[in-house]
Amino acid sequence: MAGSHNISRRDFVKLITGAVGAIIGAAIGLPAIDYLIDPALKAAGKDAWVPLGKLETFEIGKPTLATFTRSTVNGWEKTVNSYGVFVLRSSDTDTLILSNKCTHLGCHVNWNVDKQEYICPCHDAQFGINGEVLGGPPPRPLDRYTGDQVQVTDGKLLIYFRGG
Amino acid sequence: MWKKLFAWLDERLALNELYKATLDRPEPKGNWWNTLGSASLFLFLLQGVTGIFLSVYYTPSPDHAFDSIQYIMNGVAFGWLIRGIHHWGATLMVLVVFIHMLRVFVTASYKYPRELTWLIGVGLLLCTLGMGFTGYLLPWDQKAYWATTVATSIAGSVPIIGSFIMKALRGGTDLSALTLSRFFAAHIWMLPAVLAGLIGVHLFLIIKHGESEFPGKDD
Amino acid sequence: MKEEQKKTVLEKYKIALQKGERFWPDSIYKDLLVSLAIFIVLILLATFLGVPGEPKADPSDTAYVPKPEWYFLFLFKFLAVYGQIPLLGKIEWIATAAIPALVILLLFVLPLMDKNPYRHYSRRIMALSIMAVFVTSMVVLTVISGIPTTSGNTGMSAMTLLQFLTGLVIPIMAYIIIVGSSFLSNKLKLLGSRLQKWTAVGGSLSMIVVAGVVILIAPPAAPSAEVQVANTLTEQIIAGQDLYSLNCVQCHGADGEGGIISGVQGLEGFNMKAIHSQDEMYTRSDETLGDIISYGQPNLGMQPFGKSYGGALSTSEIDYIVAFMRYTWDDRSVIPAGAVSTIPELNPGEVPSWDVHIQPLVKRYCVSCHRTGRQNNNYLMTSYQEMLTTGDNAPLITAGDPKSLLLTLINGHEGKDPVTGNVIRQMPPTKLLDPKYVDMLTRWVMAGMPQTAKEAAALAPTPTATPTGGVAPAVPTPTPTP
Ligand code: HEM
Ligand code: FES
Repeated sequence: MAGSHNISRRDFVKLITGAVGAIIGAAIGLPAIDYLIDPALKAAGKDAWVPLGKLETFEIGKPTLATFTRSTVNGWEKTVNSYGVFVLRSSDTDTLILSNKCTHLGCHVNWNVDKQEYICPCHDAQFGINGEVLGGPPPRPLDRYTGDQVQVTDGKLLIYFRGG
Repeated sequence: MWKKLFAWLDERLALNELYKATLDRPEPKGNWWNTLGSASLFLFLLQGVTGIFLSVYYTPSPDHAFDSIQYIMNGVAFGWLIRGIHHWGATLMVLVVFIHMLRVFVTASYKYPRELTWLIGVGLLLCTLGMGFTGYLLPWDQKAYWATTVATSIAGSVPIIGSFIMKALRGGTDLSALTLSRFFAAHIWMLPAVLAGLIGVHLFLIIKHGESEFPGKDD
Repeated sequence: MKEEQKKTVLEKYKIALQKGERFWPDSIYKDLLVSLAIFIVLILLATFLGVPGEPKADPSDTAYVPKPEWYFLFLFKFLAVYGQIPLLGKIEWIATAAIPALVILLLFVLPLMDKNPYRHYSRRIMALSIMAVFVTSMVVLTVISGIPTTSGNTGMSAMTLLQFLTGLVIPIMAYIIIVGSSFLSNKLKLLGSRLQKWTAVGGSLSMIVVAGVVILIAPPAAPSAEVQVANTLTEQIIAGQDLYSLNCVQCHGADGEGGIISGVQGLEGFNMKAIHSQDEMYTRSDETLGDIISYGQPNLGMQPFGKSYGGALSTSEIDYIVAFMRYTWDDRSVIPAGAVSTIPELNPGEVPSWDVHIQPLVKRYCVSCHRTGRQNNNYLMTSYQEMLTTGDNAPLITAGDPKSLLLTLINGHEGKDPVTGNVIRQMPPTKLLDPKYVDMLTRWVMAGMPQTAKEAAALAPTPTATPTGGVAPAVPTPTPTP
């Protein structure tokens, strides 16, 4: 029948139109998604031994900020970022190294001499001298560099830094 | 002469019909609170115009973004005005859009038949906030850099997929040239495109259903 | 909504339209007036407040305290207050992701959720009450966002508790009461909506009152250090000159000429090569110069100056120094007019003053050593008072005395330390001042060391016209940011 033939032909055309649209959409859309998130997938690790300076330059009993920079290639460009750790030498042999990055949302904590605690300026977290949480929102103590992440070579203090 | 020209154009563009459909519409008795939506639209257009002007000199790279803004502020004639309007316009736009939403809530204008208009409106609010968030990084100054560092690590606190979202926002593990260029793209192309599209639908729905009347005692 | 309800809504709307106005021009007229008002406000804001300056992003600055744009402050504060909850507060994603997502979701589905067919506010008490409490808590959180959440002592202080109360407890209680009373049986409907209304009013008021108390008992905010930003190239070069004078002159000389270093621990007697030569300037890019300043040359004895390597200078400050070096020593760069703060020339018979002449002079040539923390026999020159009174051998200058120790030394003669008997060589140690500056200092001492230009004019033997010479006094220079 002409009529029913017509209708099924219409349906066919509708189907094809939809399919063609979907194919073009997918052919552009899927690569586009990958295109946009690619840098996140390829973010390179930055693990390396980082020298912090001569061990003897850190005063015993006082947390001292040591900063260092790491450069990574981001896309076409080399980016230099700075990181900080607090070095606390409790004795000639014992050294405690804490990351200065607040475990809440990553602001930088400061050592407050009067209160003898680390204070995060963002949401007022407080950490004790050993990095333990005294108050505020942080879920865990300050990150520590311990054991095989620390070494002393020729009087120089090195830590094994894991970026990313 | 003018009449003829108008008739000729009308024949082809249906100007009269357009005029009737969009401008010569009946409206319920007006209310000053109802001007806030068009004020938001005005601010959006103003942001668009000043933003386009800013992009003439602005350079989205960590080496040059800051200097190009300094140049806009101090070097170019009326650069301070264009940037000043864009800067404060962003603040006012957030404020006006939010109060517009409150007005719609208080007069219960989101109820039948305007549910969709509200839904689109929430999308508009989010896009506006997104514009503010992405625009904040563009001057590449201390405030911009560190606020964005912390804001993106907020996304990183989501369980499981958080660190992926953070890297996708930043385009890597840290803020870098990639972050700036993707924020720039979002700020001047993607979000404005979405905003413009949503505004189009928003306006269509408003014309279709008319502005709601101020609720009376028996409504 | 039922079909007949929909019909009544549409019919009522038709009647409203008949009593109404036209979109063009009635509504558009109002819209345009409001837009115009907003536009005027914008122009005023842009003109009179402008956009506050900020230093360039400095990834090496690990001490910067970030702040979001003001319309995100309430969220920022909410995170802080939420984080003070014991245990639950540690699960940060509840506050950072789950709650905001929930609020946005609620906004999206509001028209589907709100089944109440009425629109007049007297019949929507519950919805309005919830919104009122929500908006008030947003405003309150924004207002107290600048106040620290803790008062510094560990544990829950009164400060924390109050903020807790206004930011979390009161709103949550209000929501519970408001939503809860909507489940009251039909008989108690009236009571329920009264309860909702008063909860909203009471909750909002008490939030505001508690926030007021928080503001009252808050410790006065430490005045935030005013950051000076050098905006134009000219300002950058001047800032760079000051920073150069403070940090570099001691070893590299006031004009980068180098020479035998004296008075610097570890480098005593080292013959510093010149850094202002064409060889240096043509072969080192701005980036290289910046890197050298930032990283130093540890093997050659130059300490790192950049914050990234433990020094004190920010990236912007190093950029300023580089701009100063480039524009003063590199003959390929054209120095913009007015970019270097000059020491005004003296007219014959004119008496120099501290403010106009001596201060820029010592700032340029002497202060790099004569400030606290340097080897200088405790003679400091950063202020008028210090210039006159400090030093192990004070006074180094005596009004009208040509044999003042300072004058002896700058004329290239050796002086004897009256206390220890040690010999002090010439000053400045590496290169004597230009004779006109020696003359300037001599005239100043001989005239009695006036501080202001006015005092100097009064001391002049023959009344001279106000300082001419066409050179403006030194442009006020930005102080280096700590
Ligand atoms: C809904 C509209 C918009 C909002 C809410 C908005 C918001 C913002 C904000 C908050 C900033 C930071 C400004 C500052 O702190 O100085 C900014 C900067 C900028 N925006 Fe927009 N913007 C909007 C539309 C546009 C459009 C349509 C364009 C271009 C096509 C644009 C181009 C720029 C550029 C180039 C900058 C960098 C200049 C600067 O930071 O001063 N913006 N925007
Ligand atoms: S980031 Fe440190 S308390 Fe929030």
